Amino acid sequence: MADQSYPVGQGVEVTVERSPARGTWLEVVHDWITTVDHKKLGIMYIAYALVFLLVAGFEAMLIRIQLIKPHNDFLSPYTFNRMFTMHGTTMVFLVGMPILFGFGNYLVPLMIGARDMAFPRLNAFSFWISSFAGLLLYYSFIGGVGLSGTGSAPDIAWFAYAPLTEKAFSPGHTTDYWAIAILANGIGSIGTAINIIATVFCMRCKGMTLSRIPLLPWLYATMSFLVLVAVSPLTACQAMLLLDRYLGAHFFDTQAGGSAILWAHFFWIFGHPEVYVLVLPAFAFANEIIPVFSRKAIFGYPAMVAASVGIGFISLGVWAHHMFTIGMTSFGNAFFTLSTMLVSIPTGIKTFNWLATIWGGKIRFETPMLFSIAFLFQWVIAGLTGIMLSVSAWNWQLHNSYFVVAHFHYVLVGAIVFMIFAAIYYWYPKITGRMLDETLGNWHFWLMVIGFHVTFDVMHFPGLLGMPRQIYTYEPDRGWNTLNFIVSIGGFIQAIAILIFVYNMVHSYFRGDDAGPDPWDAWTLEWATASPPPVYNFAIEPEVASRRPLWDRKHPEDPDSAFE
Amino acid sequence: MSADPHSHATGHGEPPSGIVRLPASTPWPFLMSLGVVLMCAALVTSMWLIWLGLFLFVISAVGWFRAVLPHEAHDDVPVADEFFSFIPEYEKVARIEINETHRAQLPLETFPISSGIKGGILGGIAMVIPAEIYGIIRYHSVWYVVNLLGGAGVGVWSNPSVEEMQRFNLQAFITANIIQGATTLLVGILYGAMLPIWPKRPILLGGIIAPVAWTGLLHSILGIVNPFLAERIDWWSFAASQVIFGLVAGYVVSRSGRLKRLSQVPLPVRLGIEAPGIHPGHEGGHEHEGDEHRK
Repeated sequence: MADQSYPVGQGVEVTVERSPARGTWLEVVHDWITTVDHKKLGIMYIAYALVFLLVAGFEAMLIRIQLIKPHNDFLSPYTFNRMFTMHGTTMVFLVGMPILFGFGNYLVPLMIGARDMAFPRLNAFSFWISSFAGLLLYYSFIGGVGLSGTGSAPDIAWFAYAPLTEKAFSPGHTTDYWAIAILANGIGSIGTAINIIATVFCMRCKGMTLSRIPLLPWLYATMSFLVLVAVSPLTACQAMLLLDRYLGAHFFDTQAGGSAILWAHFFWIFGHPEVYVLVLPAFAFANEIIPVFSRKAIFGYPAMVAASVGIGFISLGVWAHHMFTIGMTSFGNAFFTLSTMLVSIPTGIKTFNWLATIWGGKIRFETPMLFSIAFLFQWVIAGLTGIMLSVSAWNWQLHNSYFVVAHFHYVLVGAIVFMIFAAIYYWYPKITGRMLDETLGNWHFWLMVIGFHVTFDVMHFPGLLGMPRQIYTYEPDRGWNTLNFIVSIGGFIQAIAILIFVYNMVHSYFRGDDAGPDPWDAWTLEWATASPPPVYNFAIEPEVASRRPLWDRKHPEDPDSAFE
Repeated sequence: MSADPHSHATGHGEPPSGIVRLPASTPWPFLMSLGVVLMCAALVTSMWLIWLGLFLFVISAVGWFRAVLPHEAHDDVPVADEFFSFIPEYEKVARIEINETHRAQLPLETFPISSGIKGGILGGIAMVIPAEIYGIIRYHSVWYVVNLLGGAGVGVWSNPSVEEMQRFNLQAFITANIIQGATTLLVGILYGAMLPIWPKRPILLGGIIAPVAWTGLLHSILGIVNPFLAERIDWWSFAASQVIFGLVAGYVVSRSGRLKRLSQVPLPVRLGIEAPGIHPGHEGGHEHEGDEHRK
């Protein structure tokens, strides 16, 4: 293969500086606070989410220490309630969404050949309001008048079922902190979603037709539509809850004619699409990483787009599978059983397309691909337990048990967190200009896989044996002791893996190998500029003729454009 | 890539050559978001915060408007010329060759979608016959089988008696028709898509092997999923219905056209999979790009 030079500008070679901001620390802080550059905002989203990942992970460790043996008194019941509430709320709202929005912010404009997001100031506003909302939520630990040693931290679980959240059962400000923080966070999420949709559909470079948009922006656009549809009812029900608590309304006050089921519907109309808001970007990362490390174009691009959009649509019609035990009609139960099973069809299409992409490929088992392969395996298992739980009769037996906890952690950790790690290993060189250490990456991967399976495979069994979720301790004669001990050990293994990952990120930032613009021999536009990219992304606005523009430049004798 | 030095510009129109015009940095989004969150935080901390939040909100709103009206503030960033060399370092997988020789190995024709729809409809009608014969002989009712299939749609039925199952029920009738219609139509379309690719004897696969296989699968799991339904199904008549569906649907689909099938080539080729080593002339399947190193 001949050396294919890609001249940018006038063909004068320059040294690309690694640090965009220099000066006193005050100038640096000012630069970051006032920035409207999508790349800096993306980095801040990711950094903010990683900090909260450590916080939520620490909370998870406290939970597992408390449950490692029966009758443990490591945490008080009040503190335990706060820990699992804050763990769930943090992981969904302060880790999952921000880190995925961060990657979206960073990558979408680069991948479609744009200079920035459609609304750069709204982008900055969305980030800052989300981050202040997170800080407000955690201020609850030290603010207000608490019941125990943890301030007014929320203790109502991440789904905050009514009527537990009413003043009579939830005095003080615990629930208020939760509702206000989620409401403010929702404003930021909606702002970012609008921005991503506008960017994907209005800011594409020349030649990038809808059928040539890389799959990652496609999936981010789908996810953003879901955010618009799903976060709005969540914001509405937070406002209704605050009206209940502050102005004496009775939306959810069952003693005054309100409806607890109304809250459940509102919340899960947000809550289940939220799963797909989180998992669609994970799919998007897989769509980019798996082909590059298999040396093959993605199999079935049109089917992948259609399946992604299909998942988005279907996910809006399955919320009540979280409510099988709430007392719906059997026809309602049957409908939501079937609609939930229906999601497996487009999901199956995507899974088989990933396998078909790998099949016959020249696979490179580097860290991003290792995490992606683990994701494929774990996602399928998560889907199988999801199908089990979609059967209402089965669900009745296991509702609110640790089987359900294991299932959704299989989705949220086994699929989403694994793909977030894959994405960090894959795009870290682009963001920082340095490669992450591959040996440490392997240690991280194997410890994470082992810890994950020790934790969440085993966690299904206490659920099958009847262990309810959210209990702070248990009797020693239930047959759960050994299983909980193993689950806790698995959690500690995962914690060690994540500490290695954090060390790798910090160490590699200062001492990692130079990445160059295209360390993975990839094919999309973000690799056609320097690492890290200049503030304007591309010196000359790109023009594309296929789905893999960089492939075309590298292989002029065999361009994709000849086949599209 | 450093963007220094930025020259702040308030004009509008085309930037000069060698300059990229980007939105100017601004503190107002930061301050506005702080104002909004402070107003919210006032509910749980001190009501005095609401005034600070409101003040920040108002001044940042004014500042933000002034940053975009009448003309958007922007920075003119000089473009540094760069020169990248992209050298593919890794092996690539051979692209499937779409030449005349290769095209001869793929089905040049497929059944029309209408053949699958016809097959599904006719198969669905035909399979009702043995099921109804069983219902009439065993329970003296044409509605028993219908109610068995559509009972999931009747909200008031938890464990219906045989007498209830023998009577007409509108909800069960509608549900049964929806289930039967949708399922047979989809399986018919699936037959239309798959039969040209698969074996020499499509009737054997579609008419006997596949129905027997899914009957066995249903038999093994229905006892767990829905014991009530499993107890009341006569599996021999059920299997007969499925086989009749398969035979009729397979026959109708196959009669829609005489297509050349590729029984002599491997399945991956028939499915059009790009994989190394399966296509003549591509033994090994990989083109080596050389061992050049990246710059």
